Order: sequence, then structure tokens, then C-alpha cells
Amino acid sequence: MKNLSVLLVLLGVTSLFAATQNTVIVPTDSLQDKTQTETITVDYPAYKKQNNMVLKANKKILISVLGQGVAPVNTSSPAQAYALAKRAAVADAYRLIAEKVKGVRVDGQDLVKNMMVKRSTVRTSVAAMVRHANIVETTFKDGLCQIEMEIEISHDQFQ
Amino acid sequence: MSNRDGDRDIPRSISVALFFLLFSLALHASEYLISYQYTVKDAILYNESLQIAKSMKKCKGIAYNPIIFKTQDSKNLEKIINTDRERFIEYIHKLGLYLKHSETTSNAVNSSMTFLTLKTTCFKVDFNDTFVRISPLK
Repeated sequence: MKNLSVLLVLLGVTSLFAATQNTVIVPTDSLQDKTQTETITVDYPAYKKQNNMVLKANKKILISVLGQGVAPVNTSSPAQAYALAKRAAVADAYRLIAEKVKGVRVDGQDLVKNMMVKRSTVRTSVAAMVRHANIVETTFKDGLCQIEMEIEISHDQFQ
Repeated sequence: MSNRDGDRDIPRSISVALFFLLFSLALHASEYLISYQYTVKDAILYNESLQIAKSMKKCKGIAYNPIIFKTQDSKNLEKIINTDRERFIEYIHKLGLYLKHSETTSNAVNSSMTFLTLKTTCFKVDFNDTFVRISPLK
């Protein structure tokens, strides 16, 4: 009984020490018969981060977006309209990729005067560097150009 | 190093010829600064600009990922690029563009602005008789 209480005190001290050192004590089968303990040091924040990450090591994610662009009204030919609409669609596709990968900054502002909303404004913005994005499919109909764009993202790119 | 007659001209002449050959090749290689930007406003292309200028000072870096254009013995890079502008712009897209997008919705009225930019980049340009090789320096 005395031995057991000494062992428990030792365990308590070890676990307290481990908690301050960001370690996890892993109970083993041998722990149950109270003869020995095995302590594995785990970098807990990194372990937690790894488990919560969307992009895991040695795995790739394929992001697919559909960008839309409109041809201007005053174009001299359908070919020009297509070329201009395609540019706009590419920019839209890039923006969607950036939004998915990097996220969007959102700012909102409401102006209330005499208990009435006078103006409600939402501003969103994103800034990113996009490279190695591929156009998969392009369609142009009724002045609207749609581009399907893909980008492959791997864990190594963010190392 | 001498030959049997005691002349030292044969290896030296080869080295001199090689020097002039390499020097003449180097004369045809030059560096250009290229920048590109286009603006899309409310899903419509608003402005596009491709700037090409010869570099006034030597650029540092290693050439990578070249693109080749066919030429008719022309040395005007702007003219060469403009003959197949679409291909060059697609190539620039592959290199990577900096994107800046902002969107405002005020009282349910939406407006957006997107800028795509290739920051001024130094390109090594090798002119040959029938083609030109353009490669960015990193």
C-alpha cells in the first residue's frame, strides 16, 4: 500500500513536469500493473496543428474554380469580344483561387442615422501570388466567357 | 606549346578564334525588362499594358523556363512579341502573376476591381537567325 502511494506521487510529479514541458504521457499496458511507465515526448502544438491542417504532408489538393468574364459592349469583332472576355474570366478565376487558398479579408460598415440604416457597405479584398494554374475548359456564349481553372497544391510548396 | 617548327601559333589561333566566336555570340544576347498589368472592372477588361524596354544595366540571376519565338532575322523584341502576343501573355501567366482584388457592396450595389501584375522582370533574350529565346532571370 505504501509502495502504491509512493508510485502515485511519483506519477503525479512526472505528469506535472510533463505538462510544463508540453509532453504527453502515454499509458501503456505495463502501466496497468504499476510496474513501469513509458513517457513519449510529443510536441503538442505541432501535433495538434498537423492534425488540424487541411493540407497534409505527401498529399496534394486539386482546386477547381469557374471564372466568368463579360465582353465589353463596344468591340469591333466577335474575336475581340472573346479575347477581352477571356481575360476578364481568367482574372476572375485567379481571384477565386486566391480566395480559396489564402482567404478573404472582409470589412463591413453600417451607417445608422435617426434609428435608420442609411448606408450599408461590405468591402472584401484579397491579394496573392498565383502561379502554375491551368485552364481546363473555356466556353463563350452570349458575351459571357466561362473558364474552368485548376491548380494543384502540395504541402511542399508551403515549406 | 610549340609545334615541330617551333611555332606556337596553332593552339593560340584556336583560342583566339574561340574567344571571338564566344564574344560574337555574347553580342547577340541581351537583357530586357518586361512588365505586364491588366485591370478588370466589374468583370470587364478595363486596361491592359505590356511594357518592354532594354535593360540599361546588367541583370543578375539564372535563366529558367525559356520561350522560343520564330523570327525573320529581326532584332526588335517588341515587334517579335506582338506577332504572337497571346502566346507570350499565356507564358507570362504561367510564370505567375500578382493578384489584387477588391470588391465593394454598398446598399446592394456591387462593384469590383481586379489587378493582375507581373512586376518588372529581367529577361535574357538570345537573338538568332531564325528564332529568339526569351527566358526570365531568377
